[in-house]
Amino acid sequence: MKGTLTIAQRELASFFAIPLGWVAIALYLFLTGGVFSLMILNPSTAATMRPFFSVSAWLMLPVIPAISMRLFSEEFRSGTIEPLLTSPVGDAAIAVGKYLGALWFMVLMLAPTLAHVGVLAWVSTPAPDAGPIVAGYASLVLLGMLYLSIGLFISSLTSNQTLAFLGTLFAILLLLLATTLGADRLPEAMRPLLYAAALTPRIADFAKGVIDTSHIVFFVSCSAWFVLLTIVALQSRRWS
Amino acid sequence: MLSVQGVHKSFGSIRAVRGVSFEVRPGQVVGLLGPNGAGKTTTIRMVTGFLPPDDGRVMIGELDVSRDSAQARAKIGYLPESAPHYPEMKVREFIAHRAALFGVARRDRKQAVGQAMDRCQLGAVASRRVGVLSKGFKQRVGLAAAIVHGPSVLVLDEPTNGLDPTQVREARSLIKDLAKDRTLLFSSHVLSEVERVCDRVVMIAGGELRADGTPGELVDKTSLTRAHVIECARAPDPLPILRKVEGVADAKLEALADEAWVRVRITPRAGHRDLREALSAAARGAGLAVRELSIDRPSLERLFAELIERPGAVGVGGGA
Repeated sequence: MKGTLTIAQRELASFFAIPLGWVAIALYLFLTGGVFSLMILNPSTAATMRPFFSVSAWLMLPVIPAISMRLFSEEFRSGTIEPLLTSPVGDAAIAVGKYLGALWFMVLMLAPTLAHVGVLAWVSTPAPDAGPIVAGYASLVLLGMLYLSIGLFISSLTSNQTLAFLGTLFAILLLLLATTLGADRLPEAMRPLLYAAALTPRIADFAKGVIDTSHIVFFVSCSAWFVLLTIVALQSRRWS
Repeated sequence: MLSVQGVHKSFGSIRAVRGVSFEVRPGQVVGLLGPNGAGKTTTIRMVTGFLPPDDGRVMIGELDVSRDSAQARAKIGYLPESAPHYPEMKVREFIAHRAALFGVARRDRKQAVGQAMDRCQLGAVASRRVGVLSKGFKQRVGLAAAIVHGPSVLVLDEPTNGLDPTQVREARSLIKDLAKDRTLLFSSHVLSEVERVCDRVVMIAGGELRADGTPGELVDKTSLTRAHVIECARAPDPLPILRKVEGVADAKLEALADEAWVRVRITPRAGHRDLREALSAAARGAGLAVRELSIDRPSLERLFAELIERPGAVGVGGGA
């Protein structure tokens, strides 16, 4: 556990020691700030953060792969994977530590947007309903968890960060498209599986303020599955 | 003690290491020597637990590096080739991070980091980012990170690769200092370095162990001809006198030392390794004045070339 936290702390600190981390946060806040000013701070509309959450979910498509692309790829490229994998910390602790570090970074990236909620509550009468806001943030964190776990796994397969970025972006888009547009066009036998794996209906539920335990279990278990795949990928490198 | 027991490693159809065995006793400095592609790095990666052997095992004391991996790795300090590092981290942070990874307790960490930095003379760059340091300093940072948890076994892969001559001298002196209180295995393809730093040499080529012993032992075991050089008076003519000595295959005038003295190179017959007494007696008997008589021992470099070209030229000894 100590090893996992050590790796998570280093990973988190590394995002703030390189321009990529600051650029990702700045771009995300700039774009969501724009959405908040233009679409939410509008006297003629209801006091709701819904547009912010739906735009944020889409912004995660490029932002999360940018965060995850270096998790393992950079270690492979620079050779630091060798001292890391020869430390007494196991492969599982390394994968989980890196995942947690990236997750903390994502949460810190989302945290400043709570100011939007404060401003909206201050200027709105009546104040916006807290339920959809809590559910909206939960959906962003859960979606980010899943996307990050996919990115973690893909970065464990290549030493090329660009490839890791594009691979993650492609994998997420494929998941989104296959479970929405593709589901009706694919063989009937596959449809139940694709419907079950669909992300958009779950996010839509969160947007309505519904926090369904089955959705939480879905995102957490899918994320755990990709982290597990990452551990397998690390171990298979030793044997290849 | 580090014990490598018949390890094999293949990558697809390439058999990188084939049944390599050797031991390194506590306090010994052993050089793993071989040309590029000999299997040195693969062997070292198996020793450090980065790669599991396909067959055979590596033991650190009583611990099997594959089976008791975490405990065994905690006893090893490892500096991979090119000293990989996190460029964005400051020197002190990087070494402290390695200490934390190796389970150095928080209360002891500051002291451990300080000691490792002192040992590697990093005080002046403690607050600088590793990425901006010179290659020599990066190497020192890697060494400090490798010793910060007080490992009993230190493994260095080509630690002086890419350094300039001054940095090589500094690194060599640091390695000697670090070897004082631990077992040290280091790989190199630079023969002079191995000769200067190591108590023992393990030579591998083509993935196989070719020789194991002290540099002196290996040279003694070699089948290379050990020429004798004699510097003697010009008169009487030394060549017929020396050629008559039993065991001399040939005697050639090598150079004129000056007007009165000449240097003769004598090639012994197979099986005659030391002809100094016989040559001295023959010269004395013939009234030939001799002012120098020596054996031209083959260098480790010639031995190395011989091993690469002729496997089996030197017997594999249990030099542990």
